[in-house]
Amino acid sequence: MKTDMGVLEGRVREALAAVPDPEIPACSIVDLGMVERVDATTDHIDVDLLPTFIGCPAKDIIGEEVKKAVRTVAEEREVRVRFVYDPPWTTDRITERGKEALRSFGISPHWETEGPVAIPLLTGSGVACPYCGSADTVTESAFGPTPCRSVHFCRSCRNPFEGFKAKQPSGG
Amino acid sequence: MAEDPRLILLLALADDELVIGHRHSEWTGWAPYIEEDLAFSSIAQDEMAHARLLYEIASELTGEDPDALALGRKPPEYRNAVLCERPNGDWGFTVARQYLYDSADEGRLAALAGSSFKDLADAVRTIQLEERYHLEHGRLWFRRLAEGPVQAREHLADGLSQALPEAMALFETLPGEEALLDDGVITRSSEDLLGEWLERVGLDLESVSLDWVLTEHAAQVGELVPTSSGALEEESTPTLAVPGIERREGRWVHVGEFAGAGGRQGRHTEDFTPLWEEMTGLYRQVPGASW
Repeated sequence: MKTDMGVLEGRVREALAAVPDPEIPACSIVDLGMVERVDATTDHIDVDLLPTFIGCPAKDIIGEEVKKAVRTVAEEREVRVRFVYDPPWTTDRITERGKEALRSFGISPHWETEGPVAIPLLTGSGVACPYCGSADTVTESAFGPTPCRSVHFCRSCRNPFEGFKAKQPSGG
Repeated sequence: MAEDPRLILLLALADDELVIGHRHSEWTGWAPYIEEDLAFSSIAQDEMAHARLLYEIASELTGEDPDALALGRKPPEYRNAVLCERPNGDWGFTVARQYLYDSADEGRLAALAGSSFKDLADAVRTIQLEERYHLEHGRLWFRRLAEGPVQAREHLADGLSQALPEAMALFETLPGEEALLDDGVITRSSEDLLGEWLERVGLDLESVSLDWVLTEHAAQVGELVPTSSGALEEESTPTLAVPGIERREGRWVHVGEFAGAGGRQGRHTEDFTPLWEEMTGLYRQVPGASW
């Protein structure tokens, strides 16, 4: 009785879609664009992940959670999970569903906003507020509670909010 | 046994990031306000993660555990530029050093992104996307202090005066550099990178009328660091010009030797030992501890 490898890879991807980023539980690692490669053979399943930020402290947890999730569909195969850096993870990898999940969690996927990707501090940044949608916001710091998040304030609805830091090649 | 020049390069890069990351982390809980507390903590976290990634690549060459490379070496085996080990001092020095270090890092990373050493090039292309935020932070504060009230400007100028000569030594020629160039592991020589960086820094300083720090050096170089020959001057004579910088045809250029060299060869200042003792304390007591 053999499982078709294409079918198995599909199951692995389904299992991965249920693994959240522990620091952004609303968003799965698939929607964050962290899954670079899934390779299933008769005796092993390889998963290559791209870390969003190199110093992300959730990396080890994510690696463990991915292993656990893949094992549920691995049927005795060895599960190997690696973090790789080619290609570099960029914010372009986040899916539309991922962006919606970020907004619902109070994090603006702000590189979508017109204007420079860089973060000018305490000036009108035009970053869209995830709560009310207003662009009348300021960036308070490029450095937030995790390496991947920045801190903003909305002058319309008076809410502080976070942004997912843009990670794009220069000039992007 | 000649050391693999790729290992020397990786250790120079990783040690810079680890040691300056350690200094940045010392602002945790002490920065002038909470946003800067977070900023320096976050930058420290990034720099140490970059160091870890580079040690992992180095460990593939040596077969050693990355932790052993990061924390298990003796002080003369560290290859960081001495600028990175200097204590944080005041906010002016902190800003000056962060701006100078990250602008230098930008140049060398851009050159390494095209390295023939694939693991390094991959790592660098990811690191670059994170470093831009550090540089932006450094530039922002550079400008804030430079355009701030007189006192802020003075603190920044003092910090720049103190940090500049040693920042040049970030581009001290690496042992084995020729082989690295021949193999395409590095695509530009340290000397070329230094020239380009100095020109960029010169323009930044001119734009806020602080370029005089390039010619009127206030710090007592002789007292602080060995000369590039490794010998300390008998009597410290305050110099008026930053060693190794001249203005030629409207551009700031590097000429001759510079102060603060030696780090790439494992020669460090008196500030390194206490930092090393603290940084490696746990590892030396319990090698292999996980935390």
